[in-house]
Amino acid sequence: MNYIQNLILDNYDLTTEKLEGILSVACPKNIDFADLYFQYINSEGWQLEDGIVKSGSSNIDSGVGIRSVAGDKSGFAYSNNFNYENLISAAKTSKCIVKSGQSRKIQLGVTQEIRKLYESVSPLDFMKDDIKVKFLKDIDKYIRGKDDRVEQVILSLAGVYDSILVLNTDGIKAFDDRPLVRFSVMVILKVGNRRERGSSGGGGRYSYDQIIGTKFAYEFADEAIRQAAVNLEAEDGKAGSMTVVLGPGWPGVLLHEAIGHGLEGDFNRKKTSAFSDLIGKQVASSQCTIVDDGTISKRRGSLSVDDEGCETKRNTLIENGILKGYMQDKINAKLMNTNPTGNGRRESYACLPMPRMTNTFMLPGQFNPNEIIESVKDGIYAVNFSGGQVDITNGQFVFTASEAYLIENGKVTKPIKGMTLIGNGPEVLKKVSMVGNDLKLDDGVGTCGKDGQSVPVGVGQPTLKIDEITVGGTQV
Amino acid sequence: MNSDENNILVYKDRLQSIYKDLNNNHSYEFNLSVSNGYTVTSRSSEVENIEYHEDMALNVTVYNEYKKGSASTNNLSSENILKTIQKAENISQNTQPDECQGLPESNYTNKDWEDLGIYYPRELEVEDVIEITKSCEAEAFKTDKRISNSEGSTFSFSKNAHMIMNTNGAYGTHSSTDYSLSCIALAEENKLMERDYWYSSTRDFLKLEEGSSIGRKAAERVLSRLGAKTLKTRVCPVLFSPEMSASIISNFLSAISGSAIYKKSSFLVDKINEKIFPDFVNIQEEPLLSNGPATRPYDSEGVLTTDKKIIEDGILQNYLLDTYSSRKLKMDCTGNGVLTNITMGSNKPLVTDVISTLENGIYITDMMGSGANTLTGDYSRGAFGYLVENGEIQYPVTEITVASNLSQMFQNIIAIGDDVDLRNRIRTGSLLIDNITIGGTN
Repeated sequence: MNYIQNLILDNYDLTTEKLEGILSVACPKNIDFADLYFQYINSEGWQLEDGIVKSGSSNIDSGVGIRSVAGDKSGFAYSNNFNYENLISAAKTSKCIVKSGQSRKIQLGVTQEIRKLYESVSPLDFMKDDIKVKFLKDIDKYIRGKDDRVEQVILSLAGVYDSILVLNTDGIKAFDDRPLVRFSVMVILKVGNRRERGSSGGGGRYSYDQIIGTKFAYEFADEAIRQAAVNLEAEDGKAGSMTVVLGPGWPGVLLHEAIGHGLEGDFNRKKTSAFSDLIGKQVASSQCTIVDDGTISKRRGSLSVDDEGCETKRNTLIENGILKGYMQDKINAKLMNTNPTGNGRRESYACLPMPRMTNTFMLPGQFNPNEIIESVKDGIYAVNFSGGQVDITNGQFVFTASEAYLIENGKVTKPIKGMTLIGNGPEVLKKVSMVGNDLKLDDGVGTCGKDGQSVPVGVGQPTLKIDEITVGGTQV
Repeated sequence: MNSDENNILVYKDRLQSIYKDLNNNHSYEFNLSVSNGYTVTSRSSEVENIEYHEDMALNVTVYNEYKKGSASTNNLSSENILKTIQKAENISQNTQPDECQGLPESNYTNKDWEDLGIYYPRELEVEDVIEITKSCEAEAFKTDKRISNSEGSTFSFSKNAHMIMNTNGAYGTHSSTDYSLSCIALAEENKLMERDYWYSSTRDFLKLEEGSSIGRKAAERVLSRLGAKTLKTRVCPVLFSPEMSASIISNFLSAISGSAIYKKSSFLVDKINEKIFPDFVNIQEEPLLSNGPATRPYDSEGVLTTDKKIIEDGILQNYLLDTYSSRKLKMDCTGNGVLTNITMGSNKPLVTDVISTLENGIYITDMMGSGANTLTGDYSRGAFGYLVENGEIQYPVTEITVASNLSQMFQNIIAIGDDVDLRNRIRTGSLLIDNITIGGTN
């Protein structure tokens, strides 16, 4: 069900005429465009540590954001109070971005039929709380029973049901209900005085039944123990420039940082990105084809419609190494004379939308992963990462490995300590010399931050080899 | 816009009036935050965005015989507050008992806090604010013709009020204001672009740095980045700018937080009374600094904050404990349900000319990534900086990594600069640290 109709529109008597009235206040004749974004977010979280589920929380956040756009200017206000008078007053604030013009009449269309990529079912109502608590206790017991080096287990289970309604002066009226769950495992193992951590987890736009009572939950537990055990053996790594093979799946955070952000429409419209004006140019080796795909059913980064009411798409960013296109929201698409790509996203009603990624990944290549590792005489094999960051203007990006190994004479040998890798976005993908045939998407734990706004995203890639990148170990 | 102080008092009465409906066998804590303000950005000499915000959040915590539940809402009608309390109660019926859980026992706030030197409300006209941002950006462009573009200048204002109440009798309110002005400038040379920024952030509008000065510093900083080169891998002394030094000290503070210690997820477990820094280093917390960026009279549980020594003569004096972690560790609560203003002090004079003290090494002004591991102390981050030879900056260096271990980095601090960054909640000058691995080319 969508909470907006029942709990907001019906409750506050916000009829179609009243909504049209608010939009027409937000969009007098010298404003190009206005939209309203109603949102009702119901979320909960359960945490286990020291063997007990010691806390839980339940949160409701609701409001409406009103935006008035003229050219590249945006006025924005929001309200947590849905009384008609409050919304009219917020609309008046929002339109102040330009000097007032004559009013005009706005007519809303019928509710848009949207292609649904996930079910309109709230994970929060789906299962009783005592089942969630028992699940966490069972996993804790499983982990502690499996390895006697376990010093700490921290588990969390979180669920969100996010109902939205987008209305705009183009007549769009689109509802969307977005379930999202996430399960996280963190294990600390201790041997002597040394403690090391392993983390794992997953989730998506579905209910808890895809995690609780499934084998996945136990696989995440095993994975966290395995990573911590590997890190207990890890030695200091070298510093300097070297060949790096990245494993499949989550290491795709490389693509997110190295090229993803640099291809967001706002930076390219303003020409502040290292990728500005490079459409049609070679920016990666010809083995690289990279897409941003918001249409994969039930993925964490997917959306049926974006936060401006546009259907999400599968957009090809780079095809055989050639830059094909940017990711756009409505404003930047219009200013760049192109079409929105379904990438207009916002953290909540309290923030302005901007171009953001959904699920960004590289398509599979021709090499067997073993072949790739065997081709390296002296290098690093990095399979897990804790995050990354980019300066989109000079293209410098980093991503931090949390599980890595030496490759010696074509074989993966000793584990080495976590380290940061630094490279240059427009250069690094030109150094990709082998792309594996083992494309994998991540398990559904990614969150991307931009201008202080966080949104859930996905990444993925096959195994790939970068001939040369700077690695931040401590040994010289 | 509504007056937030009045709002807070309205909610005080509303919350107290529902005390009678609460379960006498349970204890309750109410945390209420109200904030409103706006953000204005101008770019290319035109206003780009005007955003108004008005936020409210009530968080309810219930302790039901050592079982804890929390719930929050942004709808503060009496009816909805009762629903929110009920949700917290429901959660507390499913969580498990933990005898360390519960309201704090003593050192409560019991008043409305005023005159903290952090509340300077001021009605500004939006047109004037737009002018401030335009002239800030204009100054960046005026500085040099290589300033090719900008991400604009942003002014933001926020007026905040907070209230805490619990059923053991804690009560406190305080208000604050935040003003900030920033500029992001881009420069281009040989078809390569760089960006950098500068900002000012204060409690009092009148203390805000002049827009022209901010625009000029943003421009100078980005100009100094042009022509950056890569560098050969080496081990050398590194001077961290005050901003970067604050991030290193914040890693230290995370590692001594109560939750990191009782979860044993810190490299500083069991280190009280041990030497963590060199003899000359002192670190203290000063919660009530006038104009302090993190000034707070009471913490998130209503416990009074206090001045304290964290490091004295290099030795760790205290962990930062809230009620729960202090009970877990069987130590005294330090009122650190929040972390307030931190000052890095020195028993020897602060160094005036930090670059010439470095003599030969790297001066790091920017770092990227999340490579500080507070479980093991392992440290590895991407960085940007300058090569320093014979006490003089030679040229900017890029695409390098900085690696060491936090324990060693703390011990290897050679000097602290007098170039203290007063905008940051962690007040420190540049830190000169020996023996850092710089990763670069072969």
